[in-house]
Amino acid sequence: MSVEEFRRALGAWLDRHDLSPGTDHSLDAQVAQLARVRRELWAADWMRHGWPDAVGGLGGPSVLRAVLGEQVASRDLAEPGLWSMVEVLVPTLIDYAPPALAAELVPRLLSGEEQWCQGFSEPGSGSDLASLSTRAVPRGDDWVVTGQKVWTSLAQYAARCVLLARTGGPGHGGISAFFVDMDSPGITVRPLRTMHGVDEFAEVFFDDVRVPAGRLLGSPGDGWRLAMDLLPHERSTCFWHRVAHLYSRLDRLLADGCEPDADALGAVWLDLHSVRCRSAATQRALADGGRLGPETSVDKILLAGAEQRLFDTARGLLPGSVELAPDGTWRTEYLYSRAATIYGGTAEIQRNIVARRLLDLGKE
Amino acid sequence: MDAAERALLEDALRKSLTTCGPEAEPGSALAELGWAEMLAAEPDTAIPLVFRLLGETGAQAPVLNDVVLLAAGRPLGGTPPLPYAGGAWVRWARGDGVPTGPLDPGLPLRHAEPGDLPAPALAAGRQALGWWLLGVGRAMLTLAREHVLDREQFGRPLASFQALRHRLAETYVALEAAEAVLVAAAAPETDRSAGENTEAPDSADALDHTGALLAKAAAGRAALTAARHCQQALGGIGFTAEHALHRHIKRALVLDGLLGSTRELTREAGRLLLRETRAPRLVDL
Repeated sequence: MSVEEFRRALGAWLDRHDLSPGTDHSLDAQVAQLARVRRELWAADWMRHGWPDAVGGLGGPSVLRAVLGEQVASRDLAEPGLWSMVEVLVPTLIDYAPPALAAELVPRLLSGEEQWCQGFSEPGSGSDLASLSTRAVPRGDDWVVTGQKVWTSLAQYAARCVLLARTGGPGHGGISAFFVDMDSPGITVRPLRTMHGVDEFAEVFFDDVRVPAGRLLGSPGDGWRLAMDLLPHERSTCFWHRVAHLYSRLDRLLADGCEPDADALGAVWLDLHSVRCRSAATQRALADGGRLGPETSVDKILLAGAEQRLFDTARGLLPGSVELAPDGTWRTEYLYSRAATIYGGTAEIQRNIVARRLLDLGKE
Repeated sequence: MDAAERALLEDALRKSLTTCGPEAEPGSALAELGWAEMLAAEPDTAIPLVFRLLGETGAQAPVLNDVVLLAAGRPLGGTPPLPYAGGAWVRWARGDGVPTGPLDPGLPLRHAEPGDLPAPALAAGRQALGWWLLGVGRAMLTLAREHVLDREQFGRPLASFQALRHRLAETYVALEAAEAVLVAAAAPETDRSAGENTEAPDSADALDHTGALLAKAAAGRAALTAARHCQQALGGIGFTAEHALHRHIKRALVLDGLLGSTRELTREAGRLLLRETRAPRLVDL
């Protein structure tokens, strides 16, 4: 099926099958909606396109997943950040898990049966992720994990966690990755209260948690490589979804009768158009077999900038929409956009990468 | 033209543009390399390549006239009136006459009576100028990068200071974004036919021109960003007329105003949004 055929057929199917969310905007309802949309799209096979046969997919290029996510975002069926988590988790499992494990469990995620999470950041290791101190030590046939993670999205709903922990010495080389069942004894999840009022992030505490040897992802010491391999996934398909979401919010800004400030609106569109063009080029490079590396920091910088400009402009041109409106739509998303230059590698870290790796300016 | 042929051509063009000096008129050099034939046969290759190289080398040639005339379906070789920022009109003089220009003496722009430029000609000209501005921006970034790597203060290279690294990173990102927008503007047909839009042909046509409008705005913005950050990174030397930077800055400023400034084009894009009450998605996967 060509991309265009897929887009048309999917669009027609979604026109006939209304998967719109209800009026409940609580996180519980959002997560239930996310599962529902996945379940329906899996049952109708849309969710299987672009994933390999080995994990229950129908094959085809990954760009089909970008098109699916764009439709989901454009139609507001699910929050794009939550929707896109599969784009990071599934390729990681395919590349690093024992094949039987991936074949057994990936379909549960894709079909909406389970949520998974990703345990990377720690209280003492944010931008400096490689300094993480959660430890995994071998005991018999198992590993025993002790430590604390933070900013773990949807941990309170998750059945599994892709976890980074230290199994060796300091630095990148001492980090390994595990696939941990969240119902293992010794795991405690505490949702974090955030400024936008949606408690989608959590702290996760690991207290002598036993993880079977078969749940090691890759070999001991592969954790950093796994984390780096995951970035291109996050910054190709996921970004396309987010850009689609931001376009839908620019449409909403225009539809909500904003002040007709052509300069400000034009600047927002220019930003969105720029990141959309860049993201399309990135996905062409990926489809042509290219390996994505530090150049995706450019996409990340553009996306974060576009997102904040959009919501800053919305706040300016719809006065009171953030501060006074009883309807919290703009308020929540404006506040969430403040994090765009922080999560997934801060704006400063991205600029460091551009300077070091793309401009070849040497060390600081 | 395959990739190897393109690389050869780029090499030949770069050499001839570099040797003719910043204020010389390399129109004849381009003519020798077959500019008119290239433009007619492969405009999608010729325009990005030649205009980007004009920017990177600091050379100038009256080739914008040809791009505009070709798109307008008029004979090449003339000097059509071109709109400039603020409602002014200019002509880009040809020939060996003394180059003039109050800000950039290398660009022979003369005031002209208002004329009319068909929309496709305006769009083609904007894309060409976008590539030129991109090249100017890259030239500035190259100069600034060399400077921060070479010059030491406080016993270390300027390139080791994060404040400067981030300025140059910002410049690089703006230029990369502009290039992506320019590439997308050059191939609107395939992208648009892939979309689910079923707009009438003339509406699609209008959007085609919007791609070019946004491309020039993105390139102008990137060049102005480059000018600001690179001049700061170069410090005092970048303010002198002994260093090459000032010529690129002046060129960026003059080219930014031609066929609509970044500010004007951005405003025009905003007006289009207000008319449509929806943001067109001009590119698709």
